[in-house]
Order: sequence, then C-alpha cells, then structure tokens
Amino acid sequence: MKARMQMSSSVVKQEFFKKWIKGMQIYSAFNKEMTIMERKRAIKLSADVAIASTRSATTQWSRAVVADVSTSAAGAARAAAEEILGRKLPERKALATTCSKKIVRRSHQRRSKAAARGVVRSSAAIAKKLVRNRTRVLKRLVPGGKKLDEISLIKETLDYIACLQVQVDVMRHLAAAAESLDHQQISF
Amino acid sequence: MSSRRSRSRQSGASRISDEQIVDLVSRLQQLIPEIRSRRSDKVSASKVLQETCNYIRSLHREVDDLSDRLSELLESTDSDSAQAAIIRSLLM
Repeated sequence: MKARMQMSSSVVKQEFFKKWIKGMQIYSAFNKEMTIMERKRAIKLSADVAIASTRSATTQWSRAVVADVSTSAAGAARAAAEEILGRKLPERKALATTCSKKIVRRSHQRRSKAAARGVVRSSAAIAKKLVRNRTRVLKRLVPGGKKLDEISLIKETLDYIACLQVQVDVMRHLAAAAESLDHQQISF
Repeated sequence: MSSRRSRSRQSGASRISDEQIVDLVSRLQQLIPEIRSRRSDKVSASKVLQETCNYIRSLHREVDDLSDRLSELLESTDSDSAQAAIIRSLLM
C-alpha cells in the first residue's frame, strides 16, 4: 500500500478550491446560459473531480472517480475534468457492467447454510455476519471499493472520508459567502 | 477457527491482520462525529462500520444539497448588482 500523502488540511482545501473554480469556469466557457440543473451538474462534477485530483491517483477511490468520469463525461464535463486533472482523459470505454451483474445475481442466490439447517448462530457468528454485511455496503459506498480486500478498503475509507469532509467544508463556506453577499447591499 | 490454528503459518498471518483491523477500525471511529467521543473498546467493529456507511451517505447528501444551493444562488443573483458580478467572476 502506497504511503498516503500527508498534507495539511488547509493545503488540500486551497488546492481543491482552485481546481473546483477552474472546472466551473470551463463549464461556463462552454455554455453561457445554463439551466439550474446544468449548473448544478457543473458545480457537482467539478467538485468531485477536484477533490479526487488532490490525491493525484495515489488512492483507489480517486482513480475510480476519474475512471467513472472518463467513461461517462462528454463535452463541457470532459473538458472541465481534463482542465482540473491537467491531462487528457483516456478514450471512452464501456464499463464491464454485464460481469458485475452476474456477480450480484450469484450472491443473492446463495442461501445461508445455517438458515437452511435451522441452526441458531452464536453471538460471535452473528457479529461476524454483521461485519461482513456492513463491509459489503461500505464497498458500494467507496468508489473502487468493490475489488478491495478488507484492510485496503478501510484504509481507502479513511482517506475518502477525510477528503469528503474537505469537499463539504469548502462548499459550505462558499455557499454561506454567496448567501451573505446575496443578502447584503454593497454600495460603491 | 480451530482448523485455522492448526495451520500455523496462516494463523500467524491472521493474528497480524486482526491487530491491523482493530487499529484501522479505531481510526475510522475517530473520524465519525457520531461515535468518536465513545471509548473504542465500547464500540463494536460492526457499529463502527455501520456508522461509517451512514456518515458517508450523509456526506454524499450534503455535497448534493450544497450543489443545489449553489446552483440556485448563482441563478438568483440580480444580474446588474455588484455582488453578482463578484460571485460570477469568481465562480462562473
């Protein structure tokens, strides 16, 4: 496991903020008149790519976010992402969705052997099952989590949560600033 | 469990990773506002994982809500006001 980049929170916040703004400016260069929905998408996608790029591909989750954008984004979204990342994105490839669907079907068909036998589980076994189920949910919530082992998943989660906190913090501050500017009357 | 113990090489490896997992889980607990103040020996691994998932979901929701809010704020600013120009030049 690569060493996690130890950056101070304010450095990450500044980097995220700058990249986020860059992304949104690219969007508005493409489209002067955006609908609210388009603007929301611009804001959100720029933020997601910006926070992922502060990790510069050292984590699975950030790579998964970029890969997802590579396959699904076009036009302004693609240009904004490329500007934020500072490089061209690879050609759009279709996701291997059929493969993952098969896996999901198989796990749903798997019936608990203990349940079939009518066996009552020990509390340790129940705790183990709870952990396994919750790990499965966590794998779905963390980008790129599905292919990770339990230890790597938790390490990725630690980094992912720290970055989400930065993203939310900066977005919250900007929204508050924009709101207070909106309410004030600035006279020149 | 007893079958794992008899395979000595594997039991050594699983003991190390158990400690690692305990350490990582307690680090997770520190990140989550809901449970960070509780004593780590009082919070089960499954509880930490559950709260982790809830927390990630709430962070995702916040990003979405904030994106909504910001898209409206930029839309509603009066087109000829000074603050609209400031916000727009900064953001859009």
